[in-house]
Amino acid sequence: MSPTTQGLLVLAATLVMLLSGAPVAFGLGVVSIVFIVIFQGFDALHVVAETFYAGLNDFTLVSIPMFVMMGAAIGSSPAGKDLYEALDRWLYRLPGGLVISNLGACAVFAALTGSSPACCAAIGKMGIPEMRARGYPDDVATGSICAGGTLGILIPPSITFILYGIATETSIGRLFLAGVMPGLMLTGLFMMWTLFIIWKRGFRAHAPDFRYTWAEKMRSVPKVLPFVAIIIGVMYVLYGGVATPSEAAGVGAALCVVMAVVIYRMWKPKDWWLILRDTTRESVMILTIIAAAVLFGYMLTSLYLTQTLAQSIADMHANKWVLMGLINLFLLVCGFFIPPAAIILMTAPILYPIIKAAGFDPVWFGVILTINMEIGLIHPPVGLNIYIVSSIAPDVPVTRIMWGTIPYVLCMMLQIVLLCMFPEIATWLPDTLMGPVGPGR
Amino acid sequence: MTAGGGGLDAFVATVRAASRVAGGFAAALIAIGVLVVCEMVFVRYVLNQNTIWQTDFVTYSLIAATFIGSPYVLMTRGHVNVDVLPHYAGPRFRFWLAVFAATVTLAFAVTLDVLTFLFWKEAWDNKWVSDTMWRARLWIPYMSMPIGLTLLALQCAADFAALVSGREPPFGISGRRA
Repeated sequence: MSPTTQGLLVLAATLVMLLSGAPVAFGLGVVSIVFIVIFQGFDALHVVAETFYAGLNDFTLVSIPMFVMMGAAIGSSPAGKDLYEALDRWLYRLPGGLVISNLGACAVFAALTGSSPACCAAIGKMGIPEMRARGYPDDVATGSICAGGTLGILIPPSITFILYGIATETSIGRLFLAGVMPGLMLTGLFMMWTLFIIWKRGFRAHAPDFRYTWAEKMRSVPKVLPFVAIIIGVMYVLYGGVATPSEAAGVGAALCVVMAVVIYRMWKPKDWWLILRDTTRESVMILTIIAAAVLFGYMLTSLYLTQTLAQSIADMHANKWVLMGLINLFLLVCGFFIPPAAIILMTAPILYPIIKAAGFDPVWFGVILTINMEIGLIHPPVGLNIYIVSSIAPDVPVTRIMWGTIPYVLCMMLQIVLLCMFPEIATWLPDTLMGPVGPGR
Repeated sequence: MTAGGGGLDAFVATVRAASRVAGGFAAALIAIGVLVVCEMVFVRYVLNQNTIWQTDFVTYSLIAATFIGSPYVLMTRGHVNVDVLPHYAGPRFRFWLAVFAATVTLAFAVTLDVLTFLFWKEAWDNKWVSDTMWRARLWIPYMSMPIGLTLLALQCAADFAALVSGREPPFGISGRRA
């Protein structure tokens, strides 16, 4: 059987498995084992356990549960509420200040937790009722929070970047830095759109006689500052080459838990269990997908499917930007149905050789891929953030929320176009701080 | 369609209790991993001494947490799936999709359980040790795989039984349409 036929069979089986609703990790595992047996015989099964284990036997992966714990400690505490309040008190005088507070809080909380759903839930719980109470249109209130939540996987530290870095052996520190400028730009685009639309609809933010006193403003700072300081500390340690990502994340996680306990008096075992439970659930889910994806990658490589696909695309001699457009379309469609972690781990080993062969920077591509994943988070039919926001504002019809997210999807697409036109938006910061990368990467 | 048998209820309850214990154990392993990383950072960067066992220990702890925590995560529906089709499917089709998904999960757990047991036994018989300075006996970290996967297979079987006996709705979605 030719590799092309084999590839089509694998593709069909994987699609059936994923669409059936079986857990992604187990579905990938079954497809891998079945095709290894079909094409290589039962003798080849002896590598399955070893490959599955080897997929997890990497100290770099330790950073994933550690960063997840950082996010869980902050997400389980009222830090999101305090962050929201702090930004609102400082920015309320600006026109549309509440929207800027919300999106700014999303961006900072995203950096703190690295999780889009956590960011959406934490800021949305405060921000959506407040915006609606002050008369902001429902679609703007819900759409902006949905979009702001997605920043969690772009602004570092981001688990999406860690997964991409591991899957493609790209520097995680460089990827983190590459996400900073596009993340800030995207936050700016979201803000500009939101301000434009509320201005166009004739909405003028705050009651003119409303004032926060300086004492109220200053009181909001101390609870938020320690968490922001930890994140800055973790980033400094990471980029300064002081410690590895896993070490920085481990210390950061411990400090975040201690801060949550001290600042918010989370002494009870129940509070601790909430943090550990959320950490365990998310970490086990991601790590199981990683192990299964490594097995899946082994199956693809041993059947020469990855190599055949890469060769076929290279033989097409297509324009590299046409190729990039097709890859973006492919990722976008995947993102509509499949969670980001699974997409990255399944597609990165296939796309990486193609990207390299076409002369694209893998770090830059990591950013493009992540923005595609962000779109999937606020786009139906999956659109996880839409359903989270819907649970916060159940009286707003889901279709209204979906329409509210569309302009932000367009902002993200614009960001991808800008990144294609000016790759330096992503590459300038890592190249400046860490030095340009040699041809050997 | 609910089956009467108290035996099945007892089986499902026992397996779920075991999964909860496994989840707690996995959470403890992750917490210990964080503490050991902090200790490693202190020893390496404050005391300026070499670390020997810490890197391996943390890696093995998190591998063990992944396998042993898996049944708890399955029980709490934490393993992500693509639920578009189940969400929009009619009740009958959704039921058969759930049966298929549960069968796939059970097949995976049982197959990998057997394969990882054989892998563990090879490490035990040949007294394999890690190729790091610590020279850890590898049958110890490898043991987490068959243990976790056995529990996972039991949790899959309990979920399957709860599904076909009508105790649990398919994919946790009740009613005619989601």
